Formats: sequence, structure tokens, C-alpha cells
Amino acid sequence: MTETPRSDGSGGFLRAAVTAWALAGGGLLVAVIVVNVLSVIGGAVLGRPFPGDFEITEIGIAVAVFAFLPYCQMSDANVTADVFTSRAGPRLRAVLGLAASATALAFSALLVWRMWFGLLDQKLYGYTTAILQFPHWIAFASILASLGLLAAASTMTLVRDARDMVSAGAR
Amino acid sequence: MTDPVAIGLVGLAALVTLIALRMPIAYAMILTGGIGVSLLDGPGVLLSQLKTLAYGQFSIYDLSVVPMFVLMGALASASGLSASLFRGANAWFGRFRGGTAMAAIAACAGFGAVCGSSLATASTMGKVALPELRRAGCSGALATGTLAAGGVLGILIPPSVVLVLYAVIVEANIVTMFMAAFIPGFLAVGFFLVTIAIYVRINPEAGPAGDAVGSRQLVADTVAMAPVAAIFGIVIGGIYLGLYNPTPAAAVGAALVWLHGAITGALRWRQIRAALLETASISGMIYLILLGAEMLKVFMSRGGVPQAVADAMLGSELSPILVLVLLLGALIVLGCLMDSLSMILLAIPFFWPVLVALNGGDAVIASDAGFGMTTDDLKIWFGILALVVVELGLITPPVGMNVFVISGIARDVPMRETFLGVMPFFGAEVLRVGILIAFPALVLWFPHWMAG
Repeated sequence: MTETPRSDGSGGFLRAAVTAWALAGGGLLVAVIVVNVLSVIGGAVLGRPFPGDFEITEIGIAVAVFAFLPYCQMSDANVTADVFTSRAGPRLRAVLGLAASATALAFSALLVWRMWFGLLDQKLYGYTTAILQFPHWIAFASILASLGLLAAASTMTLVRDARDMVSAGAR
Repeated sequence: MTDPVAIGLVGLAALVTLIALRMPIAYAMILTGGIGVSLLDGPGVLLSQLKTLAYGQFSIYDLSVVPMFVLMGALASASGLSASLFRGANAWFGRFRGGTAMAAIAACAGFGAVCGSSLATASTMGKVALPELRRAGCSGALATGTLAAGGVLGILIPPSVVLVLYAVIVEANIVTMFMAAFIPGFLAVGFFLVTIAIYVRINPEAGPAGDAVGSRQLVADTVAMAPVAAIFGIVIGGIYLGLYNPTPAAAVGAALVWLHGAITGALRWRQIRAALLETASISGMIYLILLGAEMLKVFMSRGGVPQAVADAMLGSELSPILVLVLLLGALIVLGCLMDSLSMILLAIPFFWPVLVALNGGDAVIASDAGFGMTTDDLKIWFGILALVVVELGLITPPVGMNVFVISGIARDVPMRETFLGVMPFFGAEVLRVGILIAFPALVLWFPHWMAG
């Protein structure tokens, strides 16, 4: 495992922001859990479940999971198969890591671009949820922020991998 | 390049190459699927799909149980439930030869009842039970092998995240799948216990008997297991009885584990923060793979690959059971390359149409069907078989994630020894798959009975 350089201040700030964003997503997950618990209790005791609990769950979980993605990228949580490369030298591993980070960066940038148009569509056609009339574009706005942060986190791992490659080449 | 079989093979080769080059599995799927569909239909289709594809995938209602069960497991790991489970089980089993190892299996099963992940079960129980096993004089191979195998129970006993994903892919009912996993799960526990009993009969010094505990202690340790039993009963029992959907049930379960941890004082902000971040890592990883699998599926179905594979299988005139065994064998091979979640998401969209075609379509009656059961029953049966088989990958070399997890905790036991220790359990699992193939009723009886 390569240690992430923590010396530079911008990286430290970004790490804190990504972690805080993931915790905020966790808070949203907890809120969705509370809504579902209230819905069960309301359904059992009052015969009246929480209004719109289905759509709150759908949108809440989607928004929360997007908020998890930058943290996933930063903490290298995305699973890889190490079978063939476990004996590879540090330089090759750094090159492969660089390719993975570049892919993450490219994909997050692509999604920011496309989902921005997705947001415009949602707004233009006024799509809302069925019961609570919650506009989908608001969810898209928070997701775009998550994806922007994912791009930033990918850039951070990209820089780390590039440094690893240079230091492995110097040895 | 419009021949579906060629498209499928090139796509598969690209995917495997990327995964072998250490590309994260989710991104390997995204790259293969995205580039593939762009080559087939031009980039326009992909670009317009990406406006809503990810949002659509991430907001599937049935999937919302995944992060909830992950959080429930993370909180359960941090809240000391595992320790009381092990102590309770050891009070019963500890006096027998190999009893401490049996207690570890029973505790893993109990923990699996509140946790839907094998790795979390292996690492949590590993930390709790490994020192106790060594103190009781268990050999390194037996101790680590038992815990690596016991971790598998995390996913075999409902709730199970892999089973949820399977249900979403083949459009099965999650509740039915959870019911179907019940008897096979208990069968696994029984087989593991017998395996240990045989193992210590052959190597008596590997697992000496401990002292019997006094009756008062026995009662106290048993009562301490009550919270887990209550949570399992409320969550899974409630699902089985149809009191609520899996999502509210998972929410209630997570809330109960949290409440229990808050009352006992085990869960403070530090533990909660760690549990939330662990949930973020695992859920983010799962959903990203899910998105990749969807992009891959779009590419493959636009190329007509699943249909072509199903036709080829039909044309080969192999017997349905032989094809089933071949597909399960392919899952074991894939298990050397990737984890169980990716495998289910990657392989099932291709394997399932083959089985439906062999069975005679969606609406076939049981007496005419290739497998002698309706396609709905086949869906349930194959799901459980696939679940057991992909979990075998967790304890087989070279990847064997559970073995790595346990080796990471048991620094003094070489990994080779752990793999050797896990082999008897591997044998028990292969036997169990054989029995489940021979007797589908073991899977199907309970959901049928519950359905009335």
C-alpha cells in the first residue's frame, strides 16, 4: 500500500471536504432510515404510514450514494483483482494505478457534463415525484456537486499515482 | 463486427484484460460497456443515456436495502454483539472436543443473521474469536480455517446483500429469496459443525475440549445473546411474515442495532463515524459496480449477445443439468478473479437467459420444463446455488478474500496454513452444493410453505 502524501495543505483540505461530504451522505442515509422507521410505526399504530416514504427512500438513497463516491475513490475502496499484478514491480503498479485514476477522472467529468443536461431536462419538463411533488432537478444539483468532488478526488489520486511513478522510476 | 458471439467474446476479452491490469472492476465494466456501445451505435446513444442512467440505477427502490444492511452490519461490528454471541455459544459448545471452533461457527451464523456481508462477519468474528481459539489450544490451521469459513455464513444467512442484488437483476421477489436461503443456511452451519467434529476426531490435539461452565454462567451467557435473537426475529421474521417490505425492515434493523449500541454505551461518535464511513466505502463501491454492470448489459444486449449465447446453448443439446453445472463451474473460475458482488452482477445477466431458454420459456408448466420446475422456481433455486458457489470463491486460492482478512488478523499463522485449514470446509461446501442440486426441495420447500 502506498501512503497518500498529506504534507500539502490543499490535499488536506480536499480530504477533509470529501470525508465531510461522505458523512453528510451518511446523515442522509440515517434520515431515510428514520423516515422508514416512522412509517412502520405510523402504519402499525395509527394505520397511517409516512406520506411519500417510497420516494423519499428512492431519492434520499440515490443522493446519499453519489455523496459516497468521492470518499470511495479517495480511500481506494473500489475493488481490484490483484491476482496477476501482485508480483509486479512498483513502477508497473504505479502506471496501472495512474490509468485507473485517469479513468475515474474522465468518467466523473463525463457524468458531470451529461448530468448537467439531465438536470436541465428535469427542470425544463418540470419532473417531480408523484406524492410529495419534489422536483428531481434539486436531487440532480446535489449529485452534480458529488460528481465534481469525485473529479477532484480522482485528480488527487492521479497526482499521488504520478508521484509514485516518478519515485519508483528514480529508484 | 456484427456477429453477436464475436461481440460477446471481444467484450469479454477486453473486460478480463482490464481487470487483470488492476483496473477497478467497476471502471473496467464502465469502459468496456461505454466504448462497446459507442462502437456499435455511435456515441450519441450513450451520451443521451448518461443523462439519467446513473440516477435511475441509484434510485431503484429495492436496492435501498443495501446501504441500510451495510450500515446495520457496520454498527453491529462496532457494538460488541459479536463478543456476546461468541461467549454464549462457547458456554454451550466449549466443553466438547473442538467445541471452541464450533462456538465460533455458531457465533458467525448468529452474526450473519444481523450482517449481510461475509467480509464483515469474518473480520468482526475474527477479532473476537481468534484470541479465544488460540487460548483454548486450537491449532492455527483449525482456528483460522474455521473463521474464514464461518465468515461465509454472513452472506448465506439472511439478510444477504448478494441475494438482494441477484433478486434485482432477475426480478425475483427479495422476500422469497430470503426464505429460500433459510434451510440451505442452516444446512451450512450443520455441515461446518460436523466438519469440525470429524477434523478433531482425526487430529485430537487440534481442538482440545474446554472446561464446562457452571449453570448460572450458562444462563447468563445465553441471555446475553437475546438482543441478536430479538433483532433477527424482528427484521427477518417480520419480512417472512409479510409485516413489512425489506426496506423498512432493514431500516428498523439498523435502528435497533444503533439503539442497542447506544444503550450499552458501545456506540459513541467515534464508532458511529467509522461505521458511516465504512458504509460509504462499501455502498459506493457496490453502486458503482452496479452502474458498470448496467452499462455492460446495455452494450451486450444491443449486440444481441445474451440471446446468441442462449441459442448456442440450446443448439448444443447438452442436458439442462449439465449446462447448470457448467455455469456454476464458470462462476467458481470467475471467483478466482473477482469478488462475489461483481460476479453476480456480471454473470447473472448472461446466465439467466440461458437457463430460461433451457427450461422452456417464462410460462412453462413444471411437467414440460427442462428442469422439471416452473421458471419462477428455477429463479429461486438457481439464485441460492449461485450464492453458495460465488461464496466458495471467498475461501479458495488465489483470491480467497476471507482468508486474507483472517490472515491479516492472525499474524502468527502463515497464509498457507490458513488455506489448508479451510480445505475441509471447502469440501463440505462442495458436498452441500451437490445436495442442493440433487434436492431442489431443500431450497423451494420453505418459500412454498410460507406462501401457503
